[in-house]
Amino acid sequence: MTTFQSNPGNNGGQAQGEQGQAGFGHRVDRIGSDAQQLWDDARGAVTDLNATLDLKGRVDRNPYMMLAAAFGVGYVLGGGLFTRTTARFIRLGVRLAALPMVKDELLGMAEAAMRGVEMGARTMNDMSGSGGGVSGGGPERQ
Amino acid sequence: MDVNPQHLQDKARQFQENMVPQLEDARRNLEDFNTRVVSFVRANPGTCLLGAVAVGFIVGRIASRR
Repeated sequence: MTTFQSNPGNNGGQAQGEQGQAGFGHRVDRIGSDAQQLWDDARGAVTDLNATLDLKGRVDRNPYMMLAAAFGVGYVLGGGLFTRTTARFIRLGVRLAALPMVKDELLGMAEAAMRGVEMGARTMNDMSGSGGGVSGGGPERQ
Repeated sequence: MDVNPQHLQDKARQFQENMVPQLEDARRNLEDFNTRVVSFVRANPGTCLLGAVAVGFIVGRIASRR
């Protein structure tokens, strides 16, 4: 740290001391203005970040979603990402997500099977109905 | 076993009459709770988000220890 001392017995030294004091004051002023500038920049950055993220607006629109997202961020920060619990949850989520598609597929298959059974039964009825005529019209065994 | 359909029907109706008001009360209570939670979260977004992060952190820690 620089110290500025004035010598009262010497005129040249006094002038130098005054000049040094003026330089010191100037430097203090500049540090103060720099600090003020830094503070303003930091506040501006925080304001810009808030405006960009719009956390309050997002919480207003989707409170539960934002709480879940915050919970997820904390979960990841806590080191729970690559664990068996996470794998279990992901597996459960995939199954639940695939359930509607599987349900639609199963319903389609069941409908096709029912249609096939109905068609088969109708064909069998037709065959049995016309089967007597065919057997009656055929060559008779002796 | 002798089953009286009229008796069963009366029982079912009675059960329905008992259950419907309770279900309605439960629904109303849940809606009130939901409204209170949402308004609290909207009034204190920072606190709630930080709390959720903290809870998630603790749960993540517990999950990573297993």
